[in-house]
Amino acid sequence: MANRRVLIKRRKAVRNIRKITRTMQLIATARFQAAFTRAIATKPYSEKLAELVADLSKAAEGVDHPLMHAAEGIGRSAMVIITSNRGLCGGYNSNVLRTAVEHLDRAKETGLDTEVHMVGKKGISYFKFLGREMVERITHIDDAPKFEQIEPIANYLMGQFVRGEIASVHVAYMKFISTGRQQPEIMQLLPLAQDEQADADEASTGGGEAETQYEFSPEPKQLLEELLPATVRTQLFQCFTDATVSEQIARMVAMKAATDAAEDMITTLTRQYNRARQTQITMELLDIVGGANALT
Amino acid sequence: MANGNVGKVTQVIGSTLDAEFPEDQLPSIYNALKIDIERTILDETVQETLWCEVAQHLGGGQLRAVALGSTDGLRRGAPIYDTGKSVTVPVGDDTLGRVFNLVGEPIDGLGPVNIETRREIHQQPPTLDNISAKTELFETGIKVIDLLCPLVRGGKAGLFGGAGVGKTVIIQELIARLARFHRGYSCFAGVGERTREGNDLWLEMQEAQIGDTGKSVIDQTVMVFGQMNEPPGARLRVALSALTMAEHFRDTTGADTLLFVDNIFRFSQAGSEVSALLGRMPSAVGYQPTLGTEMGELQERITSTSQGAVTSIQAIYVPADDYTDPAPATAFTHLDSTVNLERGIAEKGIYPAVDPLASSSRIVAPEYIGERHYAVARQVQQILQRYKDLQDIIAILGVDELNEQDKAIVARARKIEKFLSQPFFVAEQFTGFAGNYTKREDTIRSFEELCEGKWDHLPEQAFMYVGGIEEAAAKAEELAKE
Repeated sequence: MANRRVLIKRRKAVRNIRKITRTMQLIATARFQAAFTRAIATKPYSEKLAELVADLSKAAEGVDHPLMHAAEGIGRSAMVIITSNRGLCGGYNSNVLRTAVEHLDRAKETGLDTEVHMVGKKGISYFKFLGREMVERITHIDDAPKFEQIEPIANYLMGQFVRGEIASVHVAYMKFISTGRQQPEIMQLLPLAQDEQADADEASTGGGEAETQYEFSPEPKQLLEELLPATVRTQLFQCFTDATVSEQIARMVAMKAATDAAEDMITTLTRQYNRARQTQITMELLDIVGGANALT
Repeated sequence: MANGNVGKVTQVIGSTLDAEFPEDQLPSIYNALKIDIERTILDETVQETLWCEVAQHLGGGQLRAVALGSTDGLRRGAPIYDTGKSVTVPVGDDTLGRVFNLVGEPIDGLGPVNIETRREIHQQPPTLDNISAKTELFETGIKVIDLLCPLVRGGKAGLFGGAGVGKTVIIQELIARLARFHRGYSCFAGVGERTREGNDLWLEMQEAQIGDTGKSVIDQTVMVFGQMNEPPGARLRVALSALTMAEHFRDTTGADTLLFVDNIFRFSQAGSEVSALLGRMPSAVGYQPTLGTEMGELQERITSTSQGAVTSIQAIYVPADDYTDPAPATAFTHLDSTVNLERGIAEKGIYPAVDPLASSSRIVAPEYIGERHYAVARQVQQILQRYKDLQDIIAILGVDELNEQDKAIVARARKIEKFLSQPFFVAEQFTGFAGNYTKREDTIRSFEELCEGKWDHLPEQAFMYVGGIEEAAAKAEELAKE
């Protein structure tokens, strides 16, 4: 029976797949630990920095900075979409891309053309398939994004923004909330948002407290000149570290599910194989016994 | 009828029996023998005739015969009469509208038939030069059949399927579709299937009208039954009886004749039972060693000749869903069009559960059905094949891991799969959907557009149980409203 051989072959193939997915699950777990440590490590710095900038800008009222306001009447904007270079991470890429594409289409309806800076091979091939334009394709950023790699991107975008070539910059990425929860998010990088939410929070919780008084040296304007670009860079960097953690988690989960599914499949195939084998043996026995009986 | 040869029953084993004749008056092989039996049923004595058919000559005036009815009440020593020829059945216009058993006795309780013209059930198949070479598509209005495994007018089609996947329903549906618009005659052979189904069909045919002529379908139909309750000899020959009646219409009237057989497998099965009783050594999987011969003798006679066409549609049971089983495998080779029914598809709730990849037809080729139809059929199969290939990957890694082209193919394949379902006329009271007849032209266009991706935006559910693609679009709108 050819059926049996086919079953053996399939089972072997599934076993090999299971081996691979299990290994990938373990690797993803290890990488997740590393990425998680990195993401946590940068968090206090970027949070403190954001806080400081918020305080400063409030204290130095009336101070204006080009990074804080969009120039009027520009029909273009930019978006950085962070996807992975490698696949086998479940719905990670498609979730980010779906959210990003929805945002792009909505922007298009309001008459805003968006230049896409695509990070990751998966996103690039998806956009190629859709036939959408990309102004930049970035594939050299891997599991451990370095600040030096992110900095040029941030600088380039800020340059464009300040020159008034683009109205805004958004980042689409998978936000890491906790190990159990990540969600695709569109974050506005530029113009730097006046954090109204944070203001409101502060007003409700610590409304009565005296605000920290700052003495500026050098001048606030000069200080912000230095601090704001730093914030933008850090924020973008944080997006990247978040994305890598989320990617590893997604891969871990996907590979765990794949290993389980492969296991189920092996069980089914083994059962089918055993049944086919038993059938064949019975049939042969019947033939032999029948033949022997007929001869005697 | 009898030629005066009389013998004596010497041995009875189940439904075979031995008889002794004078050495010089031995009945020939396949000759019909007659025994008068006296049976006592509930203290009432009835006279019955038992028909037998000579199967083997044992030497010394002994012969072995297969009983075509029950051997209850038969005794050793009973006189047995040779009729001098094989079993005959009445043929001609007067048989229309009636129901017979295999020896041509009416069993519909409408009184005796007085037909003088009779024909022997064992005949030679048409000769080589007599066979018609026409090849023409026979439209059924069933999308999946018309598209992927179209029937051939004057050809043979087989419906293969395991237990309970809907063979009989499709046969009945085809009778309802074809016989209703058919101008010629129809013959139905019930071979070893449920008697209840035969009864259902009979009643249904009485109700159904042919076109708008005001005549019932039954008026153009002969039915011959040898169902499960009959002994193996009867089930082995009943298909021949129906075929003989169909052959008569073909040879004398020249009209197109439809021959439905449900179920050819029972014919093989009965052959195997008889074979064991005759003491032949069983062959592969316990079937008779003459399986191929028996099938060939029957199938080769179901042929269109230069006088007229016989289009036959046969249901073939596949034991344990195993298509390599010798019985369905021998039937395969004789057919122009094979429609495979698949349990996996029936389990998804898609009816007719035709397997679009395993079903095929001789005429799926550009020279018969046209370039366009051929291209669409192949494309549909390609998409479904790709989906099947990807199934393992999807099962293990999930749909998200596929690349974009494959994702689109998978989505389209799932829609095609659902679109191959269709509401049946005979299943109206079960499904609640009105039966649907889709013209071949519409079928081709619908699938063409579906393959091109023109309808990718409709939800999958909209493709279930609709006719043309426009109906799917309408259903999608309806679904959106809910």
